Amino acid sequence: MKDIKMNEKKKKSIAQFVDLFDARDEIIKHSSKNLPTYQYPANLLAQELHPDSFSVQLVKIVNETNDIKSFWFTRESKENFPPFLPGSYITLQVEIDGRIYKRAYSISSSSNSLKEYRITVKKAGIVSRYLFSSAKEGNIFLMEGPFGDFHYQSLRDRKEVIFLVGGSFLAGCYPMILDCLENHKIQSLSLIYGTKTVNDILWKKELDDLQKKYKNFHVTYVLSEEKRDDYAFGFISEELILKESYQGKSFFISGPQKMYEHLNPILKSLDVPNELVHHEIFATKPEDLASVKHNLTVHYRDETYTIPCYENETLFTSMEKNRVLLKVCCTVGVCGFCKSKLLSGEVKTDMSGLRHGDITYHFIHPCVTYPLSDIVLEIF
Amino acid sequence: MKKYDAIVIGAGNGGLFSALSLQKNGKKVLLLEKNRQPGGISTSFKKGRFEFDVNEQMLSNYGNLSHPGELYQLFEKFHLNEKVKTIACHDVFHLHVKDTQENFIFPKGQEAFIEQMEKYVPGSKEAMVTFFGLCEDVREAISHYPKEKPSDMDIFYQTYPNFVELAPYKVIPVLEKIHLPKKAIQILSSFWVFFGSFIEDISFIHFALLVDSYVTYGLEMLEYTSYDLSTLIAHEFLALGGEIRYSSCVDEILTSDQKVTGVKVGNEEFSAPYVVADISPAVVYGKMILKENVPSSSCQLSNERILGAREFRVFLGLNQSLEFAPMVHVIVPTLNQKVLHKNQNSIFPDVLMGVVKNNHDSSSILELGGYFFQDRFDRIVKKENYYALKEELASMMIDLWESVTHLSIKPFIEEIAIATPVTFARYTNHPDGTTYGYLAKGYDNLLPRLFTKDKERKISGLYFCGSFGNFLSGFSATYFSGSEVAKEILEEKE
Repeated sequence: MKDIKMNEKKKKSIAQFVDLFDARDEIIKHSSKNLPTYQYPANLLAQELHPDSFSVQLVKIVNETNDIKSFWFTRESKENFPPFLPGSYITLQVEIDGRIYKRAYSISSSSNSLKEYRITVKKAGIVSRYLFSSAKEGNIFLMEGPFGDFHYQSLRDRKEVIFLVGGSFLAGCYPMILDCLENHKIQSLSLIYGTKTVNDILWKKELDDLQKKYKNFHVTYVLSEEKRDDYAFGFISEELILKESYQGKSFFISGPQKMYEHLNPILKSLDVPNELVHHEIFATKPEDLASVKHNLTVHYRDETYTIPCYENETLFTSMEKNRVLLKVCCTVGVCGFCKSKLLSGEVKTDMSGLRHGDITYHFIHPCVTYPLSDIVLEIF
Repeated sequence: MKKYDAIVIGAGNGGLFSALSLQKNGKKVLLLEKNRQPGGISTSFKKGRFEFDVNEQMLSNYGNLSHPGELYQLFEKFHLNEKVKTIACHDVFHLHVKDTQENFIFPKGQEAFIEQMEKYVPGSKEAMVTFFGLCEDVREAISHYPKEKPSDMDIFYQTYPNFVELAPYKVIPVLEKIHLPKKAIQILSSFWVFFGSFIEDISFIHFALLVDSYVTYGLEMLEYTSYDLSTLIAHEFLALGGEIRYSSCVDEILTSDQKVTGVKVGNEEFSAPYVVADISPAVVYGKMILKENVPSSSCQLSNERILGAREFRVFLGLNQSLEFAPMVHVIVPTLNQKVLHKNQNSIFPDVLMGVVKNNHDSSSILELGGYFFQDRFDRIVKKENYYALKEELASMMIDLWESVTHLSIKPFIEEIAIATPVTFARYTNHPDGTTYGYLAKGYDNLLPRLFTKDKERKISGLYFCGSFGNFLSGFSATYFSGSEVAKEILEEKE
């Protein structure tokens, strides 16, 4: 009797077990035979927010100051640009004498209007000179982005904010200031803005109008090469920061390398904690480098290139000059686009943007790496 | 055209491990990865002085040299353990219950775990011992699981009676059947939200395997991040002569007469009789294989399966040490399963996972994870509100964490990053950005997947691994899936 019961239990268990698999067959049999969907809303949104790269048309060039111009773009497809966090940058690809250059520029237009993106450029390097002299309204360029990590973040940052900005670097800060005032219930926002002369100030009228509109917004203009009433003279100083009752406020700093070198010790002496200070990313070029020549061998898949490189030039610059296409983006050692493997050679490099796993296996960012010997590099 | 023995698509955990394993066994392997680095979501990113882990940063089923878990044993075959640095967590988990403000903290090791449950729920001991006994039966049976549905069920039943009997059951009915007190059932079944499926759907077999390995071997926190493991495995694969191409998104898997012949990337073709896909079957059948060559039953299978959880992650770098030891925390609104069940499709952000890790310089890292199911995230997100929504949801998660742990976080946030299903979709191309593959549910639980995989392979030479593979999703599970796929290919070749 017991055996029969056991047998029945066994039979039932086995039947249930087998049914697990037969049930799967049965369910699938009645399912749709259409090709499966692989694009879901999150995938489509990802493409809209971060398109791979897209064609843009230069629609307007505006002279802002003596050596700063703004360039307005629309998308060639007539679509809106992707929404962006104020402070973001794009990269613009430019072909000059058969060489391809890619440069990062902050978006200087408001994040509220996505019909157009504006970038604001100071005449300096090879690409900006090209934009100043040769770019015409109607020209088409390839753009990527938006990218970046220099944003006001309400979960992290204080409700009282101080911007320390130099010259054309107001470009990326301007949409951030607009956003702080319009969207983030900021209690107070002070901008200390340094330029050489009064004529070098970007968007003076807009800034002054904003001061009238928002009682919690205040601008201090600082001129380094012109003495004028109502303007501070010199560089952004400890005294000017003290005037802002700076304690406990978030700092956003954007300017040329020299400005950071000038401001960092000041903020340190004022005991501003590191976590309250946010820098626009920038690359530090070491000063003690000479123009010594080495060979750079680059492996890319099945191809090998050997080109000259110099101790006072980044490996990225050498590749760019010699038409070795390295995928770059931020060009200041942060974003990781250009990450390459150092197979041999000695370098001087900034490792702050590298992760532990990268360092273990000798990955570097060529955009912030200077050769000290012959170099063999693998790019991806 | 370059010829290989096998081509692996995707350098996630599964792809990396299958590539390593095939190469180690003398095969010539090409690994293709669309991103510029290995790891899939076993990766990290830097912000200021913090390196955040996109994966869980905790290894389960790992253990250590003197008490090696299955993952440790797998890594040992490839001499990886000497290069993996981990910190053992004393406790397996900390469950915070919001409505009753109760806390349940469980140490590792079966005996200690049972003792602790007895303290929380007196009278649970005997049933807990039975539970772990069943876990061992399941583990024993599954380690000898046949390649196909067993041909002689009588013999299979005689050898593994408990396994056969338990196989059709979900978790809670089994725990009730062994007379585990209700409270203990609630505690034991509430913690595992990060499995990416619902406790009501998960089979007891799967649950037993996971809980047993968590409790027996504890959790090992990686000294740095999962990206170190990814770079390590990629390095070992290259050292064996393997080839990796980054920035290489496969456009087409070439087939002929229902057999894999190679892949196409841009204008380049690579030939191989085996293709291992560490990507979603929906992407493979939906766009990578010539429409007329896609088997209709493969479409039917893909269309019937349900996507697993979509993750919403908040990465916080804090300028303070946290008072918690490194450990996984789970917050649930209640232990009442009926309430939980009712909310199961809108659990965000009521159910949270938090991992705490101390950084150098007396700073710390807190990573919070919340889960969306079905189209819950898609319904609330729009292009226009995307960035604002991210902040809003992250803020809700931090508030919940603060209210339950009574630990203030917001004033100490030095760095913050937020990843949404959109972020994961961009990075992985997985459908709707799921990081959990397909939902473990009914006919799509562990056993049906394992026992039907050969029968369901309609294109010879095409294998799947990773979170969409047969071992389901999970940090360790994806490594196993890669290793198993390699084993199958090697056996077939012989």
